[in-house]
Amino acid sequence: MAINLLINGSADPKARYVTWAPSPCSIELAAGPGVASPQAVTLRNKPPASGGVVVFYSKPGAAASNTLALTLTPGTPVSFLVGGKFGKPSVADGDVAIQVMSGTQVLAEMPLMVRIRKNANTLSAGERDRFVSALAQLNNKGAGRYADFRNIHDEDGLPEAHGAPGFLPWHRAFTLDLERQLQAFDSSVTLPYWRFDQKAPALFTADFFGTSDQLGTVHFGPTNPLQFWVTDGIPGIKRRPLFNVATAAANNVFTEAQTLALGNQFADFRDLEDNPHGYAHTSFGGSISSVPTAVKDPLFFLLHANVDRLWAKWQKKLGRFDPSVAASFDSTKPPGGNRIGHNLPDTMWPWNGVTGGVRPPTAPGGPMPDSPSVSAPGARPRVEDLLDYRGAIVAGSRLAFDYDDVPFA
Amino acid sequence: MSAKKSKAPAKKQAAAKASAGSAKMSRSASQRIHALSRMGGDFCEDTEKLQGVLNTIKDTAAPLPVRMTALQTMLSASFSAPNFNACRPDFLATLRSVAADKNMQIRERVLGILSREQDGFAQQVLMEGLQDPAKALLPPEKALQLLSYDIHADAYPLARKIVQNPPNEAAKREALRLLAADAGSAPMFEKLLKNKKEAVDVRQLSAAALNSLAPEKLQQHARKIVLDKSEGDQLKATSLTAITHFADEAAMAKDNALYKGVDKLRTAHSSPALKRVSKQFLAKYSR
Repeated sequence: MAINLLINGSADPKARYVTWAPSPCSIELAAGPGVASPQAVTLRNKPPASGGVVVFYSKPGAAASNTLALTLTPGTPVSFLVGGKFGKPSVADGDVAIQVMSGTQVLAEMPLMVRIRKNANTLSAGERDRFVSALAQLNNKGAGRYADFRNIHDEDGLPEAHGAPGFLPWHRAFTLDLERQLQAFDSSVTLPYWRFDQKAPALFTADFFGTSDQLGTVHFGPTNPLQFWVTDGIPGIKRRPLFNVATAAANNVFTEAQTLALGNQFADFRDLEDNPHGYAHTSFGGSISSVPTAVKDPLFFLLHANVDRLWAKWQKKLGRFDPSVAASFDSTKPPGGNRIGHNLPDTMWPWNGVTGGVRPPTAPGGPMPDSPSVSAPGARPRVEDLLDYRGAIVAGSRLAFDYDDVPFA
Repeated sequence: MSAKKSKAPAKKQAAAKASAGSAKMSRSASQRIHALSRMGGDFCEDTEKLQGVLNTIKDTAAPLPVRMTALQTMLSASFSAPNFNACRPDFLATLRSVAADKNMQIRERVLGILSREQDGFAQQVLMEGLQDPAKALLPPEKALQLLSYDIHADAYPLARKIVQNPPNEAAKREALRLLAADAGSAPMFEKLLKNKKEAVDVRQLSAAALNSLAPEKLQQHARKIVLDKSEGDQLKATSLTAITHFADEAAMAKDNALYKGVDKLRTAHSSPALKRVSKQFLAKYSR
């Protein structure tokens, strides 16, 4: 009995990744001799769950359930949705499988992954090694695409990304771009976050992001491919923590609770750009502590994943996903609007490829990479395309990432 | 610059406290640190507040943690302040004015910031210190490290001299790191990597440099090291990591001798690290 199961509306194995936000799926029973019509089936997680767990939704807005009963008619696809069960993310590719059951008989099985951004301090050894390997390949001893990220986030690009309302959407796009490039090497990888308001002894180790000596030269273990890291033709990473990475949070940074209490309006909340964001950067000596060199250290992206997580948490707490709701973005503008790139309908540099005039002279990196599982935010994202990242307002806005501590429901 | 709808009252109070901080020495250090870290990025637009923070950086009588936090406040603003460029000249001038501060931590922090800004003054004093230790503001190893943010050709001869006759081992390593950006130094790194009498970390550093300067050379030497029974596990692990992640995949898929050699490393009395990377290699190039 042939059953066609599509995850994220696609037969592409690289689309078989879900987050907490429900993904559109369909199931179709192929017509053929001996195929009963109608056929009652039940969808469930393949037991025993060893990593990720999924839940099912009969339609958008329906309650999540651990199983889903459907009636299939040959040749007619039936739609449903699948999302990760909050608190049960995958730890490896394909460690969860949807089974299509008829009574006790397994009619079909489809492996997939509940792919979630996690706290870097809690990654398994496998998750850590896959992430580090993908990152090293993206850098490719200085000759890889990582150089584009390095060239984007410099003095020329500074006004596009900082000091104005677009700071959070721009960096959401920047981290998403990197994550998608990493997933081109290994689809199971997500960008972990560094919780700079907590100690992170498992992150600053020789096997992960390295240990710093007194000078601030970072050292890696012999199996860590980051020992071959190169930016601007110069090997290595310089990072000198001004706090004890094993026992303390970054210096003077706001806690998560303080950050979420910055205000209920986006205009107030975006003060996080200074503290904790700026203070997390500057809790170190070395590359990450200065704008012109910050991206030389890949810790930049783990720091910004945490800034984005804080925004996601604030959005979830207050329901600030809808660009048409004033409190979701800066509603009060100076005469003539915010500077270009910082208004909701503006396209964002460098993905828009616009150069010259008030934009920077070059646009490294090209358009936003596609995702096999979602179509948003498009090749040339606008500021407003980055707010509804989990499709809470418009299902098609999903960006295919979620955080381990920000539930969907 | 964008208008903002409101300011949190706590932030306003913090800014006021911090700006008064350098004038009121009776205020405790922790209070001043607390106030400085809550000023927000837009203090740069207020001359009085800006000068308050800059004066705190210059204030040699202020406790070190307060001065370091004032530096952090300015640096943080460089990431977030809408008009930071307007106050950047004052900030850089302040940094230059304390580059020879009596406190080493201040000097390190300040010269680090200036070096990342590719500041000519900082590069000059660092070079002068390497040429004449009596003038040095920082130890040679730190000066070499900071010079590598913006390498000028005249730093290479100096670094080579330090490699030949290092004042200490740390300086030798930092000179090598600086030279890892110099295409003309590839033969030297090849020689160091091949030299079994050289320290393992220097050979590892040489492998990293070669991977960037002459990757095909590194792959040749890495293969030899992996298959050489007289080499230690640590260098073998580094070499095999380079092969696993950066070798030509088509060539590796055909290299049966290497595959068999690595298979033995996985099962022999190898270190856990070597076993681990051996497994990664074998999984990637499984037959």
